[in-house]
Amino acid sequence: MEKQKEQRKLSIQDIALVGVMVAVIEVSKAALAFLPNIELTSFWVILFTLMFEWKILFVVPVFILTEGTVYGFGLWWIMYLYAWPLLALLAWIFRRQESAWFWSVLSGGFGLMFGFLCAIPYAVLGAAGDGGFRDGLVAGFTWWVAGIPWDIAHAVGNFVFMLILYRPVRKAMSNMKKSRIR
Amino acid sequence: MENKSKTSSKKIIFGIVALAAVIVLFAVIYNVYREKPVEGGKSITIEVVDGEQKSTVYELKTDAEYFRQAMEETEGLTFSGTESEYGMMVDTVNGVTADFNADGAYWSFYVNGEYCNYGIDTQPVLDGDAFSIVYTTE
Repeated sequence: MEKQKEQRKLSIQDIALVGVMVAVIEVSKAALAFLPNIELTSFWVILFTLMFEWKILFVVPVFILTEGTVYGFGLWWIMYLYAWPLLALLAWIFRRQESAWFWSVLSGGFGLMFGFLCAIPYAVLGAAGDGGFRDGLVAGFTWWVAGIPWDIAHAVGNFVFMLILYRPVRKAMSNMKKSRIR
Repeated sequence: MENKSKTSSKKIIFGIVALAAVIVLFAVIYNVYREKPVEGGKSITIEVVDGEQKSTVYELKTDAEYFRQAMEETEGLTFSGTESEYGMMVDTVNGVTADFNADGAYWSFYVNGEYCNYGIDTQPVLDGDAFSIVYTTE
């Protein structure tokens, strides 16, 4: 028990690792910024959760804060507060899965639902007006529908990236983890 | 062991098919509920009367603020002229050129039966307006 507790402590090496993980996400995001809704963030969040487990609890908040600092804390940022933790949670729930196809479907599905998740703050904001709950639903629905083509692109991008990169990156990470333990 | 693997493969195939099905469903929702461009909010008519008193009438739905844009949006109506500080001075409509220097001919513009006080670039367009472009000789 004591040993397990010791393992959960965040070492300086872990802090550096968290920094590297956030940097990898941010650099990948910036590199693909010219392609609308094609991103590697989902891929990295899933892989980091699978490989570094509880350390993702530090990676996701740092990533979200970095995003807000760089791009400004707009309404879109509220959605980040629950969308990325949700993806990390899903990855953790299914952590025993090792099929590239499985993770491709999960990542693609997350991409497809991204706009829906984004629409929630707009629905809440709409409901806060005079029109009430119904107006909120209409506002959220309209916002979601307008972005469906981008959600489909997001889903396809996530699916393809995961299918291509899952095996080599997971293998490379496993090797890295083993060499670190030694 | 083999059975377990088969079950797992089936689940993954089901997942892929389900994802594809949801993509198709979303595409359908998008096509049904997306904001569609609406036709222009103003209904107007444009009548062109050429030198032989032949009349051609065009009906148009437009959001144009000024008559020139409405003319440009009208299918089948062609026009050209010279640009000036007051906008375009139209000399040719539907291929018929009015040459004032040759025979005192020009294209006159009317809105709801009244002579237009503005050039085509500044003539406002209101819902229900009936414009006439008439080949006129002095």
